[in-house]
Amino acid sequence: MATLQQEIFDKFLAKLAQSKEFDTDRIQQLRTLLAGNKKPKLDDLVKVFSSATASEKP
Amino acid sequence: MIKLENAHIEEFRGIRKLDVDFHRNTFVVSGPNGSGKSGVIDAIEFGLTGQIGRLSGQGTKGLSISEHGPHVDKIKSPDAAFVRLKVFIPEINKSATITRKVSSPRKPKIVPGDDDVKLALAEVAEHPEITLSRREILRFILTEPTKRSEEIQTILRLDEIGEVRSALYSAQNKLQLAHGAANAQVLSGRNTLLSHLQISSLNAADLLKVVNQRRMTLGLAELTEVNSDTQLDSGLSLADKADEFNKRSALRDLTALSEAAKTFADLAKAEAAAMIVDIEKLEFDPALLMALQRRSLIEQGLELTDGPECPLCDKSWDDEEQLRNHLKGKLAKSDEAGKIEKTLLKNGLVLSAASIRIAGLLSPVQKLSASQGDLTFAALLSNWIADFETLKSKLGKVDEIIGLKHRLESGWVQLPAEFSEKLTALTAKVEGKPDQSATVDAQTFLTTAQIRFGDYQATVRKSTAAGIALKRAKVSYEAYCSVLENELNTLYDAVQKDFSGFYREINDDESQFTAKFTPSEGTLDFDVSFYEKGLFPPSAYHSEGHQDSMGVCLYLALMKRLFGSRFTIALLDDVVMSVDSGHRYEFCKLLKSKFPNTQFLITTHDRLWAEQLKSAGLVTSKNSLEFHGWTIETGPLVESNQGIWEEIAAELRKDRVARAASALRRHLEYVSWLLADQLGAMPQFRADGNYELGDLLSSVLTRVKELYGKAATAAQSWGKTNERDAATKKKEILSRAAQTSNVERWAINRAVHYNAWANFAKSDFEPVVSAFKNLLACFRCESCGSWVYVTPRINAESLRCACDEINLNLKPKPK
Repeated sequence: MATLQQEIFDKFLAKLAQSKEFDTDRIQQLRTLLAGNKKPKLDDLVKVFSSATASEKP
Repeated sequence: MIKLENAHIEEFRGIRKLDVDFHRNTFVVSGPNGSGKSGVIDAIEFGLTGQIGRLSGQGTKGLSISEHGPHVDKIKSPDAAFVRLKVFIPEINKSATITRKVSSPRKPKIVPGDDDVKLALAEVAEHPEITLSRREILRFILTEPTKRSEEIQTILRLDEIGEVRSALYSAQNKLQLAHGAANAQVLSGRNTLLSHLQISSLNAADLLKVVNQRRMTLGLAELTEVNSDTQLDSGLSLADKADEFNKRSALRDLTALSEAAKTFADLAKAEAAAMIVDIEKLEFDPALLMALQRRSLIEQGLELTDGPECPLCDKSWDDEEQLRNHLKGKLAKSDEAGKIEKTLLKNGLVLSAASIRIAGLLSPVQKLSASQGDLTFAALLSNWIADFETLKSKLGKVDEIIGLKHRLESGWVQLPAEFSEKLTALTAKVEGKPDQSATVDAQTFLTTAQIRFGDYQATVRKSTAAGIALKRAKVSYEAYCSVLENELNTLYDAVQKDFSGFYREINDDESQFTAKFTPSEGTLDFDVSFYEKGLFPPSAYHSEGHQDSMGVCLYLALMKRLFGSRFTIALLDDVVMSVDSGHRYEFCKLLKSKFPNTQFLITTHDRLWAEQLKSAGLVTSKNSLEFHGWTIETGPLVESNQGIWEEIAAELRKDRVARAASALRRHLEYVSWLLADQLGAMPQFRADGNYELGDLLSSVLTRVKELYGKAATAAQSWGKTNERDAATKKKEILSRAAQTSNVERWAINRAVHYNAWANFAKSDFEPVVSAFKNLLACFRCESCGSWVYVTPRINAESLRCACDEINLNLKPKPK
């Protein structure tokens, strides 16, 4: 990934890490999904946002 | 990135066969228009990236590498067209050879096949922007803001970033829809529960009051609180829980459905009517419909694209990016269709929510009819519920919505045949049942309440989860946009600073020059100062030459930002053609001082510019190539002075006289053209500049004899007898060589043409070669190998070579 993309990618994930909506696992999932330097598949993104954390599971 | 060491180009574009040694240095290829310079750029670009910029983009429809990459005589055998490049990769300190055939541009042969070498070359292949032609300059400078934004974003690979943003936005939209549907389910579930409990709002006090009344009837402990673990029917035995039929609740469900059914025809009526209007617009305008259908198809295609093969038609593109750009271009053309798509989906969402509400009313009655043995009605209701499920999914897709026109026109909620009769019959059946005892009523009330409470809780959980997912998507999208905006602002600040600095270096008369990029939603305005009179678009007051230098400066600023210290190669194809000579000299200094580690391969049709590159120290004679013409049979006519005699001798050793004759002809043409220019020879003027070899060589001979004569006369006038004798001797040698080559007779008699040489026997042609070799040796320095020239060009005062070993005075002593 070119420098600029990498910078945006890193800062984006760092910003998410400050948000209570994203834990380490979910950020790692996003990192994996976006690291391929290609447009992520919509369903994969939706899955990352929708998967429940341990505390959210009924 | 890489640096070029050498290139072998064969049967590619306008080139038949060409070897160039770049020595990892900046290199200039000069020659008149149409002499094949850009073919060299095309070949190197192809060798490195598998693409040819000139065959892609706007105005190139119908052009392709496979059909238009090979030389026109080799269209049917693209295997013969290939480029072999030897490159040096500084980051891993390795050299490698990459061979790419037109017949398989995606499968280059790389030697050595080390992983690090392949990785480095794969990265280069991803960067066709290492090539800059004047066409690209116009794309940066003279284009409209939206297009400029796209072009610059493409060169900086921001389109990939845009794709991530677009995917995050789509995810947010999808989750928004899911959240909306989940909320509708909550509403439906709550209404069903409230209807059963006979309370108007769902609060703990009211719920506990009605539930505890039944529990007291049954002697069960009162509930004191309601939470997610609360079991409203706790304490009931399993046997008691088995009966869910509660007469009063059942009658309320039946009444609720019966009353609601009267209003079904009016549900979302306005939205359905609006959808019909949109569908009719599409029906009356087939082009719009096609655009919309293609839009949907193209969106799917973009989603599925994963490589250079189009997932829609299997067409193979040069690369994935080209395919994606093609699909995006098609999407942009269907904006009106896009607006219709948006309103159709928005109205569809309203119908979808109404469907959920209806299904929520049908569901308890369906269970009731089944429990009461009315299986026909139960099946009818099941089918109807399923129909709403299907409708819901269709309302989320535009192409499916179009197929719903008839249903929308005839009332999208049609009561099934016999629905009313069967509902009435079931109601009568329930009403006819004996009233339940207080105990049974309380038991079934609690059992049904718990089932509906559980169902409601499930919808709430689902809605909560959908809300959390939506929140994450929103946070994510907003975070990405915020980071992107900050980075782009920083980027544009850096680019405009570099750009302004570079431009000022070239144009010292604009020492206060500044530029400003103004990015906004999808556009990039670009203004430059004009002699401190304010900021204006680049094309407002600046000349074409200044616009050209702006384009190159912007390109260099973008490359610096994109690659940083890894900007080691750029192919500049005739990009400063409108810049005057003074500013070009400054441009040379800019390249040399600001990009000392970048290898520029520069083409130009301007010999003066090529000379300036040398005098500025950017290139040397060793790192330059001059084309003096082009023919379809030979490709670029190149001076190959170093190896020409070896090449001819090699052909003759293989008895290939025709090839040797062709090589000799090309060489003679080049040398004659060069010497006629350098010596100020005077062939008969031709307006088309299309001089015959005979015209040129003959006039060169005449001119050189004249110059030697002048040198002898001048030496005589100065009393320098040795120099006089030397000049006279040179003239005699030249005359003999000319006589041996018979060039004058050959030149006069057009019938004696080089084609005739092709039919010579080897033994007949060898003396011809030898004669011309001796003749041409008369025009060049034995020490430095350069061709002689006169200086100054007008009223020549001396005849020289590059090293001054030959330096004959032509000016006689004044009398």
